[in-house]
Amino acid sequence: MARRAAVRTVQRRARGPVPQAKVPIRVKINGVEYSHEVEPRLLLVHYIRDVVGLTGTHIGCDTSNCGACTVLMKGTWGNEWRAVKSCTLYAVQADGAEIITIEGLAKNGELHPLQKAFWEHHALQCGYCTPGMILAALGFLKLNPNPTREEIRKGISGNLCRCTGYVNIVKAIEAAAKEIREKGSWI
Amino acid sequence: MDEETIKRFEQILKAREFYVVGKKVARVDALDAVLGRPMYTTDLLTSKALYVRAVRSPHPHALIRSIDSSATRSVRGVVDVITHREIPGVNDAGSLTSDRPLLAVDRVRHYGEAVALVVGEDEVSVDEGIAAFRVEYEPLPAVFDPVEALKPDAPRIQEQGNLINHVKIRKGNVEEGFSASDVVIRNEYRTPFMDGVPMEIEVAYAYPEPDGTITCIASMQNPFDVYNKVTKVLGLPPEKVRVIQAATGGGFGPKSDESPIDVAAYAALAAYRNRRPALATFTREEAMAVQTKRHSFRIVNETGATSDGRLLAWRSTLYLTNGPYYSKGHLVIQRATFHCTGPYEVPNVWADGYAVLTNNTLAGSTRGFGAPEAHFAAEVQMDVLAEKLGMDPLELRMKNMLRPGSLTATSQRIDDDGLVRCVEAAARLSRWTERRREHEQFNRANGRYRRGIGIALLYHGNTLGPEGEDYAVVHLSVDERGKVKLQTGLTEYGTGALTSLAILVAEALGIDVRDVELLRPDTRAVRNPGPTVASRTTVIGGRAALDAAAKLRAILDPIAAELLGCRQDELVYRDGKVMVAGDPNRSISFRELVRRAIGMGLELKVEGFYKAPDTKWDKETGQGAPYNQYTFGALVSEVEVDLLTGAVRVLRMTAVYDVGKAINPLGLKALIEGGSIMGLGHALTEEFLLSDGVPVTLGFQGYSIPTSVESPFEIVQEVVESEGKIGALGAKAMGEIPVVLPMASIANAVAHAIGYHIKETPLKPSRILEALEELGIAYRP
Ligand code: FES
Ligand code: FES
Repeated sequence: MARRAAVRTVQRRARGPVPQAKVPIRVKINGVEYSHEVEPRLLLVHYIRDVVGLTGTHIGCDTSNCGACTVLMKGTWGNEWRAVKSCTLYAVQADGAEIITIEGLAKNGELHPLQKAFWEHHALQCGYCTPGMILAALGFLKLNPNPTREEIRKGISGNLCRCTGYVNIVKAIEAAAKEIREKGSWI
Repeated sequence: MDEETIKRFEQILKAREFYVVGKKVARVDALDAVLGRPMYTTDLLTSKALYVRAVRSPHPHALIRSIDSSATRSVRGVVDVITHREIPGVNDAGSLTSDRPLLAVDRVRHYGEAVALVVGEDEVSVDEGIAAFRVEYEPLPAVFDPVEALKPDAPRIQEQGNLINHVKIRKGNVEEGFSASDVVIRNEYRTPFMDGVPMEIEVAYAYPEPDGTITCIASMQNPFDVYNKVTKVLGLPPEKVRVIQAATGGGFGPKSDESPIDVAAYAALAAYRNRRPALATFTREEAMAVQTKRHSFRIVNETGATSDGRLLAWRSTLYLTNGPYYSKGHLVIQRATFHCTGPYEVPNVWADGYAVLTNNTLAGSTRGFGAPEAHFAAEVQMDVLAEKLGMDPLELRMKNMLRPGSLTATSQRIDDDGLVRCVEAAARLSRWTERRREHEQFNRANGRYRRGIGIALLYHGNTLGPEGEDYAVVHLSVDERGKVKLQTGLTEYGTGALTSLAILVAEALGIDVRDVELLRPDTRAVRNPGPTVASRTTVIGGRAALDAAAKLRAILDPIAAELLGCRQDELVYRDGKVMVAGDPNRSISFRELVRRAIGMGLELKVEGFYKAPDTKWDKETGQGAPYNQYTFGALVSEVEVDLLTGAVRVLRMTAVYDVGKAINPLGLKALIEGGSIMGLGHALTEEFLLSDGVPVTLGFQGYSIPTSVESPFEIVQEVVESEGKIGALGAKAMGEIPVVLPMASIANAVAHAIGYHIKETPLKPSRILEALEELGIAYRP
């Protein structure tokens, strides 16, 4: 245990003298521009939660396995929105990017089709995986707006849910996909 | 309010058609979750908090020779170091038994045991402080196997010895039963440690209030267990500690045991000593190392039957491998032993269940509480017996299953037909006979894949029974707007059980569920309702909720009767109105009635209570009625086995449960789906491995839980309602139940596919391949 902690600390501190110089970044989250000075080693998920204060994005592991931290992002690898696990990036890598978190989905007091479908189809139990799951689903629907159930299952397989067994999650995504297609607007 | 009135009230509810109960109702608290509103512990931090983490033992068993924290103290950002010496109160963190120190004194008994706490300004300084912490250990001989641990010369883990419970069943004369049997089979079954893996990791946030109170917000199932131990550790008077349950991202048992007490005490100690808010969390690996695990079991079943398939004798020997501290191991062995024969009537039973301390990491409650393991061993045994007798596994089961009038292994008389109805429905829905034939046909093609179908049946003694005092408290209050506030120390962690309580209250008061608001469990606002475990909330908590509603009605009824000019027993509460039976025009809105009552100076604030009857059984023979009622079920699984890779795919599951009364059908359906998939994980992939007490499957890379692609595409469900004796409106326990059968059912389906019963879980590819090689049916392209 002590050894593991030591390894983590070495990883964190290896890259420079302490304290590290802070780096300025500008990020647009849910349509709002933020600029902050951040430590270069600050993970994007910690930036979103602790610095910006949007706590709807969760953390479920330290190994990029669970997907609880998934957000939508554009501008880092080109100009397409895609779902990313925000614990796999440093905040500085998001400099200049645009991000959508769970808090940015409902518009004018109206739930996003995915939020509505998750609620109506009982697609959550403890709710901890839900924000990440919804954004992973949205990123997937952006790529594949008319998926089969099997494709949906593949599309969200990077996000873990321990409570639901995924059955209702798949149903909810299917229903939301339909509504999104009918509306013609995914966000 | 007296028993009589409450009974009458329940009768009235049962006699009429339900308005809310059994209807499709969305989760009361799900909206916040889809909006990502702050609700979990770490979302609620109000100011910059100190960070706390434990220095943990790398040894499974060792003496602590010396501790040197000087280097840690000089790390920049470290503000405090806490060892057992700095604990102001009592160094006791055991959830039920006071055998587990919060911080080790002179000895560590498992890998990851906490030795000291480092408190710092941030995570990085705390980690650095931990790395600089020096502990000199002297490793001691350790023991990891339960049978080894019972030998007289085994290392003693605690003073009183390693055997912490021996549960016995002595029914009839088992020797005579075996000699009268035409067929006797004996098999050994093994299941590994497993982890509940709630998605939210243990976390607690504590802060000092101006009056010196330490308030602690945390993720947990049992706020009062945490409160009691934090109060004890801090040595504060009871009124100076307050524990609030934040929204909790999954429980599954581990969050009712040891680790929530630990994190809360860590945060509380840091906050108390430094007069600043403090946050304690684990990493995922740390959580998996120290969370209580599902116990590893070794079960030997010996079964005797007549040639036409009547069970005559059953002997079980069960070894439960515990960690070095009790946690709930002594109770888990009890449930496993009481359920050792599966839901079958056997005239002669002899069982010995042993719970044994070892130097493995902590084990305790996990959803199912020993039942999944007992059912795995019993249900695979039934299949092996069927094969030996040349009988259809379903037929053998139907011949022996518990029917009205049957006696269980503990000689408890069953008086409902829940199991019979479940089995019949499962056979019909799964098209058992046809499918069996189809799969056998498919297998004759001798291709790369083989298919199989398997069944397992369940009985599950409800709620605590022999495991503790089975009572609950639910508080209700009504404000001027007619909104009913429901508060209880029973907690929500995903099952939707509190929504069921809201539904029951809405039903009793004739209002919309949306007019029932759930308030957070808070030790300052509610009485200790007993633990939120053993699938108790709907069954027992539901009774307390109905009691509270009846008490509100006792206040409101006289006023309504007077206003409407009718007798009290003519009042009907429905659709937000109170009306006169048969004359709906004479009515008053619930809201108006409430306003009047409040205007008259009445306080609409009540406390509902229910306590289930104590259960009785004999300690020496296990004979008696350990549970007040039983849930029944049947699960059929169909699988496809890849003879090339050894991978098992579950194609379809057919689940039928006798739920007594479906209060919240949407929630129930979701619960059955989720539990089935968790059980699928237990059957196919989940095993928490330790090498001489050191965990090797930490984190999600090592320990794999089902993802969306491993889950079957179809879970066919039906519920049967065979009213239970004690549950609210006849409800039976369901929270844990869906995880009990998948291991057994899937194992039997795999056996049908490959023609051999593997008696150890998980049925991972390597284990299947080994069997295929031995059977000579591995596929070579
Ligand atoms: S927190 Fe688990 S993947 Fe990011
Ligand atoms: S709802 Fe609990 S983890 Fe998905």
